[in-house]
Amino acid sequence: MESTPNIINGFKLDYKRELERAAKSMILVHKPETLIKLIARIIIQKVHVTHAGILLFDKQKDTYVFTVSKGARGLKIPSGLIRLDKDTPLITFFANNKDRRIPNKGSLTLSYLESLTKNTSLIDLVDKFEKIKLQMQDLEAEACIPTFFQNELIGVLVLGQKATNGDFTQEELDFFQALSSDVAMAIRNAQLFEDLKAYAEKEHQLFLDTVIALSTAIDEKDHYTHGHTQRAIDFSMMIAECLNRKNVSNFDSTFFENLKVASLLHDIGKIGIPEAILNKPGKLTNEEFEIIKQHSTKGAHILEPLKGTLKEAYLGIKHHHERYDGKGYPDGLKGDEIPIIAAIISVSDAFDAMTSDRPYRKALSNKEAVEELRKNIGTQFHPIVVNCLIELLDQGRI
Amino acid sequence: MSKKILIVDDEVDVCEFMQNFFRKRKYEVLICHNGNDALNMFTSNNPDLVLLDIKMEGLDGLQVLELLKKQKSDVKVIMVSGTENSGAVEHAKQLGALDFIHKPLKLEEIEKVVLGILNKP
Repeated sequence: MESTPNIINGFKLDYKRELERAAKSMILVHKPETLIKLIARIIIQKVHVTHAGILLFDKQKDTYVFTVSKGARGLKIPSGLIRLDKDTPLITFFANNKDRRIPNKGSLTLSYLESLTKNTSLIDLVDKFEKIKLQMQDLEAEACIPTFFQNELIGVLVLGQKATNGDFTQEELDFFQALSSDVAMAIRNAQLFEDLKAYAEKEHQLFLDTVIALSTAIDEKDHYTHGHTQRAIDFSMMIAECLNRKNVSNFDSTFFENLKVASLLHDIGKIGIPEAILNKPGKLTNEEFEIIKQHSTKGAHILEPLKGTLKEAYLGIKHHHERYDGKGYPDGLKGDEIPIIAAIISVSDAFDAMTSDRPYRKALSNKEAVEELRKNIGTQFHPIVVNCLIELLDQGRI
Repeated sequence: MSKKILIVDDEVDVCEFMQNFFRKRKYEVLICHNGNDALNMFTSNNPDLVLLDIKMEGLDGLQVLELLKKQKSDVKVIMVSGTENSGAVEHAKQLGALDFIHKPLKLEEIEKVVLGILNKP
């Protein structure tokens, strides 16, 4: 397309530059509706028409819906009010011309339509043109520009009168046409992006549901911890947020995801421990306790296949029984050697356990439990993590 | 004499668009944006047909329909709705609406329905 500046309302308009600009903004937008609004705005601002709208193909309804209509003056059609079915004269006209061999490169203006009517004596054709004209008049359209993608009509730009009242020039129509094929590409991209996002979200939900199913399996097996998982997850998430606020850490959304999974599954290794030991009412023998201690390595083993994608969660599950003084298990890690995710789970799990009823004792009050945590700072628990929990309690958030 | 249509919809842009559409087709068109105004305008103007939106603040379309029917039992009403709601369709039919059309509207269809109803004796 020639990039001769054109004068509209006293402004020089460089079409080529405007197109490049429009294309650049379109790349950044992934929501089809935002994109369409953006384009209508560009047209109204740059070309000064009374209104601009888009008839967009709706796959589910198998029809063209007037999706957006903007204009300072002239007609405003609310989004979703009007539809043009595939068999309506205007849509048929464009759909049948998808090879774009009609003059004006496929654009249709009222004046062009009138010249077509004058130059034919075929009554059928005149009737057809009259019907198209009527449809355009209902939409107060001066020009309609089709948008094709892979030979399918995906939309029609509907433009009102020029502010200067004259006919659209060929250059303007070329500009719309070029804009419209950009629109087609951008809409297509946006739709692909949305499809992909929806797919990813579905997969992700499936994954989360699976994790929850697994954690329910643990609950079923270990009666002592039954039903306490959600509280412990909430504590873990709040502690991690608190660490971020204090600039101790800079956890991103991936970390939070890992933390959630690890909090749900930290005891998954109990699946490999005999129920008789897990649910034994009395005191455990040393031998039995050694068997119970295996649950963190067993859990890590179960999660081994996910180690690549959920590295932090894996570490959290493996090390949630390490102690700050190095006397924990399975690896006897000390202080900052312990992955922070494991330190968080350890504190929230302990606090949740202490403040819940057990068959052999009543729940401790928050105050008593905090005292217990405080006593074990630096020996069992990570100091900053405990301080975060205490702060949350003081703020009444727990 | 041209036929008179009363269009009731709480969206001003909808009313104005429909008004333009029917005026071009030589109908006399009155518009209003809520149920109470609709009842008043009906009484004072006695339109041949009412296009009535279902979802409105205050009196909704179905309530207006019921009150209109009490005023004039053979009133001709077409209901317009933005959502597919079979319950509302059923209810509107029981109350005596002559037709029910959904948004997004197909203009040829609405024209045909209106013409058909107005031409009935």
